[in-house]
Amino acid sequence: MKKFLIFWLLCLVGFSQNTQTFEQANDLYNSGYYKEAIDRYDSILESNQHSAELYFNLANCYYKLNEIGPSIFYYEKALQLSPNDSDILNNLGYAQKMTIDAIQEVPEGGLSKLLNKTLNSLSVDGWAIRCIGLVFLFGGLFLGYYLSYSEAKKRLFFVSSCGILIVLFIALGLLFKKNNLDNTTHPAIIYVKEVDIKTEPNLRSDTSFTLHEGTKVLIIDDYNEDWLKIKLLNGETGWITRSELKAL
Amino acid sequence: MKRNILLLAFFVSGLLSAQVSFDAKVSKKRLGINERLRVDFTMNTDGDNFEPPSFENFTVVGGPSQSINNSWINGTRSFSKSYSYYLAPKKRGEFTIGQATIDIEGETYKTLPVKITVSAAIDKPKDPNDPNYIASEKVHLVAEVSSVNPYLNEAITIVYKLYVAQGVWVRNLGEKDNPNYSDFWSQNIDNTGTNSFQNGTYKGEDYRYIVLRKTVLYPQKTGKLNIEPLSIDVTVEVPSKRRDLFGRSLMNSIKKVVSTRNRTITVKPLPENGKPENFSGAVGDFDFSVTTNKQVLKASEALELKVNVSGKGNLKLFKLPKPVLPSALEVYEPEHSENVKTRTSGMQGSISDTYTVVPNFKGSYPIPKVSFSYFDLKTKRYKTLTSERLIIEVSEGPKNANNSGNGSSEVLKENIITTDLNSFSSFKTSTSFHPITFEPFFNSRLFWFLLLGPFLLIPLLMLLIKRRTIRAMDVTGNKIRKTNRLARKYLSEAKKSLGQKERFYNALERALHNYLKSKLRLETSEFNKEKIEELLGNKNVNSTTLEGFISLLTSCELARYTPLSTVDMQNDYKKAAAVINDLDKQLN
Repeated sequence: MKKFLIFWLLCLVGFSQNTQTFEQANDLYNSGYYKEAIDRYDSILESNQHSAELYFNLANCYYKLNEIGPSIFYYEKALQLSPNDSDILNNLGYAQKMTIDAIQEVPEGGLSKLLNKTLNSLSVDGWAIRCIGLVFLFGGLFLGYYLSYSEAKKRLFFVSSCGILIVLFIALGLLFKKNNLDNTTHPAIIYVKEVDIKTEPNLRSDTSFTLHEGTKVLIIDDYNEDWLKIKLLNGETGWITRSELKAL
Repeated sequence: MKRNILLLAFFVSGLLSAQVSFDAKVSKKRLGINERLRVDFTMNTDGDNFEPPSFENFTVVGGPSQSINNSWINGTRSFSKSYSYYLAPKKRGEFTIGQATIDIEGETYKTLPVKITVSAAIDKPKDPNDPNYIASEKVHLVAEVSSVNPYLNEAITIVYKLYVAQGVWVRNLGEKDNPNYSDFWSQNIDNTGTNSFQNGTYKGEDYRYIVLRKTVLYPQKTGKLNIEPLSIDVTVEVPSKRRDLFGRSLMNSIKKVVSTRNRTITVKPLPENGKPENFSGAVGDFDFSVTTNKQVLKASEALELKVNVSGKGNLKLFKLPKPVLPSALEVYEPEHSENVKTRTSGMQGSISDTYTVVPNFKGSYPIPKVSFSYFDLKTKRYKTLTSERLIIEVSEGPKNANNSGNGSSEVLKENIITTDLNSFSSFKTSTSFHPITFEPFFNSRLFWFLLLGPFLLIPLLMLLIKRRTIRAMDVTGNKIRKTNRLARKYLSEAKKSLGQKERFYNALERALHNYLKSKLRLETSEFNKEKIEELLGNKNVNSTTLEGFISLLTSCELARYTPLSTVDMQNDYKKAAAVINDLDKQLN
């Protein structure tokens, strides 16, 4: 018990220290010392703490220094933690205008677009928590049905519990889909100015296309520790060395 | 005075000696063993005692023949007298024609020795008097190449010179066949103003030459390349043996075609090692720059981006690097402009591509560095020049970057930029941190427990509720359970002290009293057997129960004075429980 308390105290001290560093970094950022601010923000990350705001500010610093790759990388990081933040989306839009590659998306039907949008609106744990909530709601409603005596109440409880059950199954489906999606697609950001994407995982092979800094790709396979197979958002695939991109 | 006379004598003698000349002249210095050679010993003042050299290694085939030339021009006399010998060499090698001596005005003069090289026999000994032969021997067209071993795309200069020997004249120069420099990029250089004869040497002999044309070539292929010969028509005037009325030689005019020999140059390929990826064939010495005419502008205003290469080298023969611009910028096809002058040393000047760039949306757009590589001929290495990174700030403009209008839907931009872009958001001032490495809730034990728990709980709850309702229906069972519960409640202390006589009966009595107290709301002071009998009688308690109760109370009192076994205590306990049960039923 004592040990636990000490741990929590340390954590609290750590938190307050990080908050202080965060504020210092913000001051530096506000005075235009972006590089110094980046150092501070990084030191918070090194203490194994993060937040959407931290990533956002870090990305802003890189944007101000016109470093496209890191800027987009940290905006995406921030979006992972807080997928619907309008500030992040807005500034990411600015950063993406600096990129060179214009990748045309494979046209997507309205339904799958809606599905993707819904899936990406919450994290896996967000979906999990909502599923649990639905389960309890269903349980409560079902007991209500079981316990109530009047016909009208019973009917109401039954219909609503059935409705919740259907919603629950949909949510579970989405949860597993989202989990699967997260496990199979690893988005990454190109970090080097220009990189040739090869047709095979070796340097001899032909270059199938060239990508530039800040482009978002999906890692779909790897080989030999060094080579990663990537897929562009327009469906094209190719091989790239691991050092040339940074996985989100 | 004496000194003055001496000086005068010196000058006079110098003057005199300068006037007398005695020279040996040969018709050619190199000849084949089957050819002949003419040697003239010429003097400008008549002398005596001419002594020819020994002519060893030669056979004198003609001569000596003497000729005297005496003329008066404008009161000045010019005199020349010569002895001519025709010699045939005896063998191959390098020989010297020795000195001839003559006495002129009491002084002995000697000619200089002349070196003659005799080579192998020439196929067709030419008649030295044939004007065609003379023309071919005395008029030469030569292509001078600045370098026979250039690099690919290194400038080489070819200068075509027409060499004409002394005593021969040319006129009516006309190009007959222009060489076709098929493996080269070529450009002729105008050489106006230099179209006059200059003095030079050709194979060690004095010649006059005229520069016909200069051409700059850039080899476009490696390996052995042939430069086709240039042929020109020329009229050569050769002095003949005949003379006119005034003793001047009559000229023979010969139309002749003179050509250069075939020249072969070996073009070296550019080295492969260290060849930059973006090398586009530029060879020379260059400067490179990428500039914009403005750095800050409003959206939908145009901006000019200029990629410029200046310097010396094959400027027209390579492509300029293309800048890669952010896709959010609209870029039009570049305008190419060249400002190149070609000199004998090669091309010089600058070439540039001007791109028109129109930003449509607000923001800052970096233009990445552009690299330009060339092969430096001085250091024989590749050099890469990189432009500065430029940043274009677009200060005002539409914020909405929804680009669905132009049909190009990019997944990222589509997803993200569909929201109206406000001005760039500044930093966030407050935050709460959480650990980066966190246990995912999904798939954790707690998750599955919470997810499936309710489903297991529902039947359990249902079972529980069902049992409760059944119990509620069962009246007698309920009552039994109730009294059991009562007995347990009141007799628990007695049960604990079962076996210890004093404590057991005390507890039993207290339990019975307590029961009655709670049931009938009795005060302790009113507590005696008669009162209990009366109260219970009023409550319509039947007599057996009443008796049992009373007897129990009595045995409690008696127990203090009589010895009782554990069995009795057990019996009494059971009896108490039964009595309390019965009482409870009747009192309700």
